[in-house]
Amino acid sequence: MTEKFTYYLELSKNPVRFEPVNQLTNVFFDDSNKQVFAVRSGGVMGVVVKGPSEESKSLNFRMDDGGPVISIKISLDQKVLAVQRSTNSVEFMNFKGSNLDNKYSQSCKKNATLLGFVWSYINEVALVTDHGVELYSVIPEKGTLKHLKSISVTVQWFVWCPTNKIALLASSHGSQLLPVIFKPGSVSKMPKVEGDPGRMILERDITLGTLYGTAAVLILRHQNAPQASEVHIHLLNGSSSAPIKRHVLRLGLSGRFAINIVDDLILVHHQASRSSQVFDINLQGENDGTVTYHKAVAPAKSIQPTCLEIPGLLEPQKHACELYSADWVVFQPNIVIDAKLGCLWCIHLILPELCRQIPDLSVCTQLVLNRMNGKEVLLKLLLDRIELPEPPLQQLQSSFDCINILYRKWIESELQIQTASPAGAQLPSKIVFQPRVLITQADMYSRVFQKLDLANKLQKLEWVLISYITSLTQNDIPTELSLNEMLVNTLVKQEKNSALVQFLQYGVVSDSKPLACRLLSLGFIELALDMFARLGATEEIIEILLDQEQVLPALQLAGDKETPRKFLQVAQNTGNATLFHSTVLALRSNPHFKESFLKDERLRVYLNHYASLFPNSVNTSK
Amino acid sequence: MNSRNEIELKNFFIFNSTYCIKEGEEQNKILFYFPPTEDLNTQINNVGLVEAIIKFTGNFKSQCDTRSLHTLKTRQLYYQPEKNFWMTMTLNLPFKVKSKEEVEQLDYMEDEIQDEVYNAVLKQAYDLYYLFFGSFSDGSGSDTILLKSKLMNHFSPYLKSIKLAHCDIMNIFNGIHFLPLNKQNFLNVQCFINLLECTYKFIKYTAVLFNDCLIWSSVEPPSMQTIYQYLTGILLPAQMETEIQGGSMPRNSPFTSTHFGRYVTGPSNLKSAESLGKIPKVHLNSEKSSGTYYMILYRALSATVCLFVAGEELNLSLFRDLDEFMGPKLTTIASDIAEYCAKHITPITNADNSPRFIYFNKLNLACKSTVHLDNRQSGNLATGKDTIKIMVDMDDQKSLIGLSGEIIVKTMNDCWVVGRFSNSREFYLAMQQKNASLIEINDEVKKVCDTELKGIFFHPM
Repeated sequence: MTEKFTYYLELSKNPVRFEPVNQLTNVFFDDSNKQVFAVRSGGVMGVVVKGPSEESKSLNFRMDDGGPVISIKISLDQKVLAVQRSTNSVEFMNFKGSNLDNKYSQSCKKNATLLGFVWSYINEVALVTDHGVELYSVIPEKGTLKHLKSISVTVQWFVWCPTNKIALLASSHGSQLLPVIFKPGSVSKMPKVEGDPGRMILERDITLGTLYGTAAVLILRHQNAPQASEVHIHLLNGSSSAPIKRHVLRLGLSGRFAINIVDDLILVHHQASRSSQVFDINLQGENDGTVTYHKAVAPAKSIQPTCLEIPGLLEPQKHACELYSADWVVFQPNIVIDAKLGCLWCIHLILPELCRQIPDLSVCTQLVLNRMNGKEVLLKLLLDRIELPEPPLQQLQSSFDCINILYRKWIESELQIQTASPAGAQLPSKIVFQPRVLITQADMYSRVFQKLDLANKLQKLEWVLISYITSLTQNDIPTELSLNEMLVNTLVKQEKNSALVQFLQYGVVSDSKPLACRLLSLGFIELALDMFARLGATEEIIEILLDQEQVLPALQLAGDKETPRKFLQVAQNTGNATLFHSTVLALRSNPHFKESFLKDERLRVYLNHYASLFPNSVNTSK
Repeated sequence: MNSRNEIELKNFFIFNSTYCIKEGEEQNKILFYFPPTEDLNTQINNVGLVEAIIKFTGNFKSQCDTRSLHTLKTRQLYYQPEKNFWMTMTLNLPFKVKSKEEVEQLDYMEDEIQDEVYNAVLKQAYDLYYLFFGSFSDGSGSDTILLKSKLMNHFSPYLKSIKLAHCDIMNIFNGIHFLPLNKQNFLNVQCFINLLECTYKFIKYTAVLFNDCLIWSSVEPPSMQTIYQYLTGILLPAQMETEIQGGSMPRNSPFTSTHFGRYVTGPSNLKSAESLGKIPKVHLNSEKSSGTYYMILYRALSATVCLFVAGEELNLSLFRDLDEFMGPKLTTIASDIAEYCAKHITPITNADNSPRFIYFNKLNLACKSTVHLDNRQSGNLATGKDTIKIMVDMDDQKSLIGLSGEIIVKTMNDCWVVGRFSNSREFYLAMQQKNASLIEINDEVKKVCDTELKGIFFHPM
């Protein structure tokens, strides 16, 4: 394995570049819009806004001199600029092209100190002060703001989560944490986050994010014991969204940490060891009834080193970026900013490499099943493991089980949707269950099993197929024809006829007409007949019997639809006069066929044949 | 003189005429003779007579067709398993003493012995020998001493174990009882076996039994047939007896992680074992699986796993490994199967007068009987012995029927015996019904067929 392959986290190849912090320039980041603001001399010398990616169009404008900028953010629709320069008011300016006009401002309540502001919705801005939250509606055309709602509560500092529109207000040195949620035109308190009473929490130890669709508060807890720092995760999905401590991540380290969330995985960066750990709260861990304790899913690794191109004197030079530098600032969900370097990266997960670091295939499968682009990775992973000289059958089995539990749920939800509801009835809110990674039998067939369908891998294919079919059976999923056929062919190619017989005997291979025909073509006439009999395929059985010149048994099975000719023809071809006689007799004694003897001219030839065989018989039907 | 009810073995011998070239060396051609107490002259005379009969009848028919010789008091059966090697078995007919006008007369019951049954017994005897020792000609070489001692080792105890009186149609079928298991349990067994074969590559073939029913075998049916007879007829009953006595059952303390696995062939106690114990070598003979293999038997609760291992140097640590691997898994599987059986399989009882049947499938050698109340050839029957004899006769005549057909027989004592042949299966039914018409019997048979022959194609009759 080359060095290159040992990293499972990487920084975006094309970072957002901006003017680094220096004596003249201040840099701000707005995590609602993911924009970086490089403000030169308080905006007089210009403001450059870039982001969220290097490709997105940058914005250049100048502001009048009004003193140093404390905070700067553009509204969600990119039409209004809000700048905080003092501790009691925010200035607003409307964009007109790339210029600004119509300056207006809003002060917070008297005696309150402004801690910051956020754009909660389009044209709604919330000022957070040490006395609480004030929500205003911005009316850019008139250049005024209208007060909407206020919340009174003591605040020392706050953290904002733009995706869930939740602000976490801290007081008493962080021992009291109150989430407030913003709805259009309104803001309301949520139940408090239960903390350890009396323990201080710093602003930088709080991360707000979303884990598997649920808002979460992640609190970094520095323990007294060395190497015992933990991240406590409170999920805001209790009754009336009460935050409940559900998960604890055991970091096994101490020192300074930073947290990112990528694809619902929690990345914990550790500065001292310059490495990152990955956690997945959906994996199993030690559980004490309410809280699950997690360990990192893979060994801690550094982020993959990266370089920046810097214009040199003659040609561009490569500059190796310092990873985990003290100048790094981390924003949610996956942003890392080096203000000194003037760089904004997104952190990405290299899923196949992460898988490589997880020895247990079953754990690995569970992890990949919850990733956005996990399907390709998982199929490849399965194939890779199967291709090992000694495929880990037991792990594959539990891996298949994980896959098929989701597959089963999906089938059930599909069935529910297809079940017709009575016309005119209000459609019940049927929720479509769409797993992030859905691996169907067709996927397994074309992406895994077909790749193994080679002469030297048949034994492996048989093992894995059985294992997969066992898992399907466990989950009550009927096996599709393609897999059944493949199993039959795999056994036949290995000349394992007695095994095939046993598989049919125990119903492992589900019945179907194509499969019965396949058995017939392979020469398993008895087995084919059995299968046709189970399927009630009388026509096929009659054909087989006629092929064996068993005319009379075939006649016994024949319904009204059969034509007498084929029976007579076979009987005649045998050259067996007695058989021909019996056939004619049987057909004539059947009221249905008796008719056709009178009507169907084409039967005359057989009657003539009969007369030639038995010249003395009295032809009563004529 | 008392009457004799049971068939007796008069003698049994194996000879090869080509081993005697010169006159006076006749004893050379006798490879095995039972009873060993018989003096050499009688032995030579008996063998010579058989040689003569075979030679003589050979003038009229090809040799292999000479199968039996009927005399007033005895029945002699012949079987030539390999060229020039003949096995001969002479049985004493049972007789009754009849008094006719003050004169006692012996009435020998010729019908008691059906050639088909005892020819099958001879073949079974040879197959079992082959399983452990290979062919006669392989064993002989230039010197017959080795072959003679092998034959002695095998046949002397074997002849004593045959229950001649209880041999019947089951010997002809020599079938295998399969456990009617559901798909899930069968697949679990499969996965266990696959894991085993994948982890231990030296395991070439496997078979799994539950009690005396087969669940899975990767050995070709002809060889499996003999192995099955050996396991269910000889080895496992003996094993179960020691289990009942608590002999080899490991007594673990309840605090150690327990599984119930242990070796039947191989080291009996892994903790204290110094040697591997006796591990039989078996000769498999079929198109695909010829060769000799160690047969390792491992048992947990009622489940038995047979591993056929080729040419591997077996050692104790390997056995420990295998034990650790199989023990817990097999214990789980066995208890799952036991649970399933308790729910879904009703044992055959002698309670009612319902129709009794015997089913045989030539394709997979599957056999099922509700006529026999156990699988031990103990003569524990639900119908009269005569009905089974009728079935044997039907079986003998089936070649006349063709691909499908039916024979119905009514006995003097109102017993109906029906034989149906279809799609490589044989289905025999016996029922006791007074004053029944053929139509009623036919309806009854149809009912039984509908319930017992679900899921297979059986000709409508």
